[in-house]
Amino acid sequence: MGRTVGIDLGTTYSLVAYVDAVGRPRVIPGPYGSSLCPSVVSVDTGGSIVVGEPARRRLLTQSDRTIYSVKRLMGRGVADVQDELKLFPFRIDPGSQNVIRVRLGNRVFTPPEISAFILRELKNWAEDFFKEPVDRAVITVPAYFNDAQRQATKDAGRLAGLEVLRLVSEPTAAALAYGLHEQQRGLVAVYDFGGGTFDISVLKLISTTEGDIYQVLSTNGDTHLGGDDIDNVLRAAEWEEILKSGLNGFSRTGEDAQVLREAVIAAKHELSVVDKTFVKFPAPDGGWYKREITREEFEHGIAPIIERTMGPVNLALADAHTTPAQIEEVVLVGGSTRIPLVRRRVEDFFGRKPHFELNPDEVVALGAAVQADILETGVKNMLLLDVTPLSLGIETMGGVVAKIIPRNSTIPASAQELYTTGVDNQTGIDIHVLQGERELAKDCRSLARFQLKIPPAPAGHARVEVKFLIDANGILQVHARDLHTAEARSVEVQPSYGLSDAEVEKMLEDSIEYAEQDFTERQLIEARTEAESILHATGKALADDLAAELSADERHGIDAAISLLRAAIKGSDYKLIRARVDALNQATMHLAELMMNRVLHVAVEGKRLEEV
Amino acid sequence: MTTVPIATEAFCWSCHAPHVGGHFCAACGKIQPLPRGADYFAFFGLPQKLWIDCAQLEQLFHQLSWKLHPDNFVCASEYERELSLERSSQLNDAYRALRDPIARVEYLLASGGMREEGAARQQAPPELLEEVFELNESLDDLRTARSRSLGTDGGKTAALKQRLEAEEKKFEAKLGEVDEELKRIAGEWDAALDAGADEAKRKALMARMNDVLNRRRYIRNLVANVQKELAEA
Repeated sequence: MGRTVGIDLGTTYSLVAYVDAVGRPRVIPGPYGSSLCPSVVSVDTGGSIVVGEPARRRLLTQSDRTIYSVKRLMGRGVADVQDELKLFPFRIDPGSQNVIRVRLGNRVFTPPEISAFILRELKNWAEDFFKEPVDRAVITVPAYFNDAQRQATKDAGRLAGLEVLRLVSEPTAAALAYGLHEQQRGLVAVYDFGGGTFDISVLKLISTTEGDIYQVLSTNGDTHLGGDDIDNVLRAAEWEEILKSGLNGFSRTGEDAQVLREAVIAAKHELSVVDKTFVKFPAPDGGWYKREITREEFEHGIAPIIERTMGPVNLALADAHTTPAQIEEVVLVGGSTRIPLVRRRVEDFFGRKPHFELNPDEVVALGAAVQADILETGVKNMLLLDVTPLSLGIETMGGVVAKIIPRNSTIPASAQELYTTGVDNQTGIDIHVLQGERELAKDCRSLARFQLKIPPAPAGHARVEVKFLIDANGILQVHARDLHTAEARSVEVQPSYGLSDAEVEKMLEDSIEYAEQDFTERQLIEARTEAESILHATGKALADDLAAELSADERHGIDAAISLLRAAIKGSDYKLIRARVDALNQATMHLAELMMNRVLHVAVEGKRLEEV
Repeated sequence: MTTVPIATEAFCWSCHAPHVGGHFCAACGKIQPLPRGADYFAFFGLPQKLWIDCAQLEQLFHQLSWKLHPDNFVCASEYERELSLERSSQLNDAYRALRDPIARVEYLLASGGMREEGAARQQAPPELLEEVFELNESLDDLRTARSRSLGTDGGKTAALKQRLEAEEKKFEAKLGEVDEELKRIAGEWDAALDAGADEAKRKALMARMNDVLNRRRYIRNLVANVQKELAEA
């Protein structure tokens, strides 16, 4: 079995983290040195997939084959995202219905498939880091994600070749990371304002003899409110300025839109530190477009967005039966909490300085790693008790929803309903499951529909008990049982928004065709490359005069190690290659020392004495 | 504290040792299936009494969470994972019902087959008829005034609002009385259990609590409606 990691699958950036030998969570850096992997996916003209930083750069040159912020599309239907389409350059395939299909170049993908590319990239980062396969993960989701959005995330994990041990709410994960750091007690509010989502969670931290319990009391949020929205406001405002400036040949769409987006994001970042800066970008005429923007103007423009976070904050506090004054600690998470106005607003509301000691970009991934470590090792001194963010209900007569599991119930949670038939020989009962707080089914989110099959009998004879269960991931399971026979009935639940199991299976099969080389293959290529380079270096060193200083035994040892390594390269056992690389390194240690001494000698001689 | 054992199948599914109840097999420590119709009170090892020390209940909840949560069973067999899901969801469901005094009574009655909502949702309890009538009249007056004047009636709407608020306060006070009554009967229930009361006596108490719950629900809906109307006016 491979290793387990924690992954923050974010709207703007994604990260992967693990817990080191001394129990500290750490993020894993990628090939570009940063641990932040831009959540951007691009398909190049040859049809292969590019993820992360190189994909982000392609937004500026090949925007029609590149996608960002795909998290906004997870678990949603075409009708849900009409407003977003005005602001985001998503190219939705015309055939899309309740599962969106996005066109990238000449290929079409569902949001879970695109997210799976990001997860696979992070899996590769971790495998390169550990030199070991990674096959299990804890993945974080916004606390306010509904069943379909969670299921889509889980599907993405599966498509990326990861067994998803648990989906953990982002604010809860952050609290876990902070708990390790700060050893807080009492009531904690986590204000998580990220790239595309806003969450507020109220937690109670309890010390027990077995360890610490992180009990979520309530959560609220908006899965479509984040830094993206701030960027969009800034873009719209800047576009007005561009029109006024009389800049010619600059378009509101395509690559130009991305140029403008990058320019306002850069200004946004700078305004967290300085009082004024410029929105600037290369103009089509070869010069620069440049306009000064002050923090005051910026804050005035984005204030309505910041204010939108306060509604959910009030609701979460009310559901936790608490008040701002009773909250003992406030934790800020997510890149958008770097904005000074956000910090001021939160501080004013709670009347205390919020915590932001941990990097707000990393803290969620660190918490996910902590949870992954607990699940992997079974060594538990911490327990997360999370809640379901939305009430679960079933449609009854007249389109009214009967709530059977209230929001903010600790998960796993369940409810049983007894069903019977209304007419003689009725062979099925239709059941419609929904999530949401509104009274009418049409105003709630449809989760699934299914039909209970009933053997023909007089009306009212059938007694079928249906158990609706929300598991620890916040995902619905349905079980039915015939009370006359005590037999379990299988229920085929068709998700309203999302992929069926069969569709995910099919994608898994298809993905093999396009999948990047698997771990072993990649390891083999890397080991061979390393072996070639050490063989090359050793060959050069042996040709040097210094080689004459080696003893006959040493020389013999090196020759033997070389031929063993050459033989190993021809095979496909990367572990053997690595072992023999190590052996050759051992054998050439003395030779390397001799050469190093000469280099030092030359270096010292080349300088004046006082410089040494 | 008396412990009511949870009746389960007689033998452990794993080691086949006799199993007398409880969440785990006493012999091999494996998690056991939840018997059908398992009682929330018994799940916590509590008697079916309506007075519960909430601090103690929370402590029990945390202790059982450590043992039953699916986190403990990630590496266990699929069957054990299922049992953990079953038991931990039951734990959370039970805690949700028992920690709230009203939900606790609702659960007791429902599990005893004594929760009858009847027509109470629509019909006013007889002793409240007159006041309900007055309240509805005020509500109608307010609605009419609002639709006609759109707030330009020189304080007429405001006066109506005030009248309605005063009447609403009366019903809030009634709600308090109903809660007190429920508490009294709950006390009687606990005493009856201690005295080993027979089923007829227990059923009678349950029926009384059912009546109070229905009255309570009616008043609560009424108050909620009026508050909504006042907020809109």
